[in-house]
Amino acid sequence: MSTSRKVLALHLGVLAALFLLQFVLPAYHHTNAARIMVLAAYAAGYNVLLGYTGLMSLGHAMFFAAGMYGAGLPVYYLGLGAPAAFGIGIAAGTALALVFGLMALRTSGPSFLIVSMMFGQALYLATLYFNDVTLGDQGFIVSDKLAPLALGDAALGFHEPAVKYNLALLLFAASLAATLALRLSAIGRVLVGIRGNEERTRLLGYDSFRYKLGSLAVSGALSAAAGAGYALLFSYVGSTFASILFSIYPLLWALLGGIGTILGPLVGTALMFYLVDTVSGVTSSYLLFVGAALVALILWFPQGILGTLRNRWLPWLP
Amino acid sequence: MAAVAPILATQSLTRRFGGLTAVDAVSLEVGRGEIRAIIGPNGAGKTTLVGMICGRHEPSSGRILYDGRDITRLRPWQRLRLGIVYTFQVTSIYRGLTCYENVALPAQRGLMQGFAARFAPGEAKVAERVRAALEAVGLAGFEVQRADELAYGHQRLLEIAMALAAEPRLLILDEPTQGLAEGEIAALCELVRRIARAATVLVIEHNMQVVLELAERVTVMDAGAILAEGTPAEVERHPDVQRAYLGR
Repeated sequence: MSTSRKVLALHLGVLAALFLLQFVLPAYHHTNAARIMVLAAYAAGYNVLLGYTGLMSLGHAMFFAAGMYGAGLPVYYLGLGAPAAFGIGIAAGTALALVFGLMALRTSGPSFLIVSMMFGQALYLATLYFNDVTLGDQGFIVSDKLAPLALGDAALGFHEPAVKYNLALLLFAASLAATLALRLSAIGRVLVGIRGNEERTRLLGYDSFRYKLGSLAVSGALSAAAGAGYALLFSYVGSTFASILFSIYPLLWALLGGIGTILGPLVGTALMFYLVDTVSGVTSSYLLFVGAALVALILWFPQGILGTLRNRWLPWLP
Repeated sequence: MAAVAPILATQSLTRRFGGLTAVDAVSLEVGRGEIRAIIGPNGAGKTTLVGMICGRHEPSSGRILYDGRDITRLRPWQRLRLGIVYTFQVTSIYRGLTCYENVALPAQRGLMQGFAARFAPGEAKVAERVRAALEAVGLAGFEVQRADELAYGHQRLLEIAMALAAEPRLLILDEPTQGLAEGEIAALCELVRRIARAATVLVIEHNMQVVLELAERVTVMDAGAILAEGTPAEVERHPDVQRAYLGR
């Protein structure tokens, strides 16, 4: 089987398995799986910047939150329908990524990390400061304002588990397809070149700034799509999702699954989700275990799970 | 002025790093199709000079003319598109990628003109260029090999294949024979001569044997300035050169 066939078969297979999973999962894990798929879409967006362009951000919660508030506020205040709200969320995240990029991409490496963190914190504090609009860290519920999704004659209510699950799967599949298409395109090759050696890539004819800005815009758009999807599917919008913790999470998920792999974000998000879920049943200091898991990961599997698999056995894995 | 306009001319090109003047008012002309060697002791400013020509460093003052056109303000990626291609002194391949991917990056550049082609330049055409470049340097069949698993001599060749895939009109080689074995050096000279049939070659080189064998003209630099210029034989006899460079 040729490499591109194998790649296609693997990713379609994973999506098919996720589709079938909903028929066998018990209710509790059913909801978890929907949540994991939305968060994995976020991690996939993060991975475009870190894994395929080599830029580490600690402010990605601002894009997730831009999508979340961009979708949630118009529903809550104006009663806007889900598709339009989703579109506004993505537009908000993409615009924010472009504006942020024009300023922050003058820096790179650790400076970029710090600048991104400052922007992320600024947005987080803004969600608290304007709490008469955003309702701050208390947040708001959108479900009573959200009209069901009309699909032909059927009305799909967002509270129904099957609707939740399949829309989450659709969102994840879209971001998987987007990241895979980007990775396999000529532009993905340039991004990987910038990750490896930016100066070399510039001398091979590529204006690296434009490619980094484009990558950041895609990353911001995917993160915002996940944020908007989260608001609509799980009904809650609050400033917790703009906090630094939600900038650290996608980094952990991507690291655990394997940065610079297409499926890594899904694997990392699922494992970390269940680690936190299991541990927090025992103790409230679950972040301690998350930290220990991260240290072990960096020590023994710095490439993450799929990165290690790729190095050892599956060199064709994108 | 020569009868044929030079492909490259620098006019009083200067580069200062803080208090140090690395390149001091260098005016250099390279003729079309020529193989020109630049020699000089370490710290003479050779790499900084070619760095300004390919756009790695911005000049402090002076001008660079390429094909009669002022390119002093052009960015490195714009210069590559005009055919100015630089290979690094320290091997700068993408270590974790295969040879194919290493060469495909410069190979696709020329095909990415226009909006649609930027996304899909056509992998068949890219593959054709990659194959041709790898074959030209003698690395045919190494496509799926990871670059960091190649022997050192092969890594140098891969670097040159990357440059060839970018379709150079002015190829700048920065110490291409450094660290190569004797047999590999002879093969590299042969390769450079073949490349020079289609392009102008500017080569920084320490190995005098290689310089004498390859270059049509030699420019000698010392302390940021041009000390002498001429045919290899003329330069070798030049008393200043013997003092500064050959240590006689």
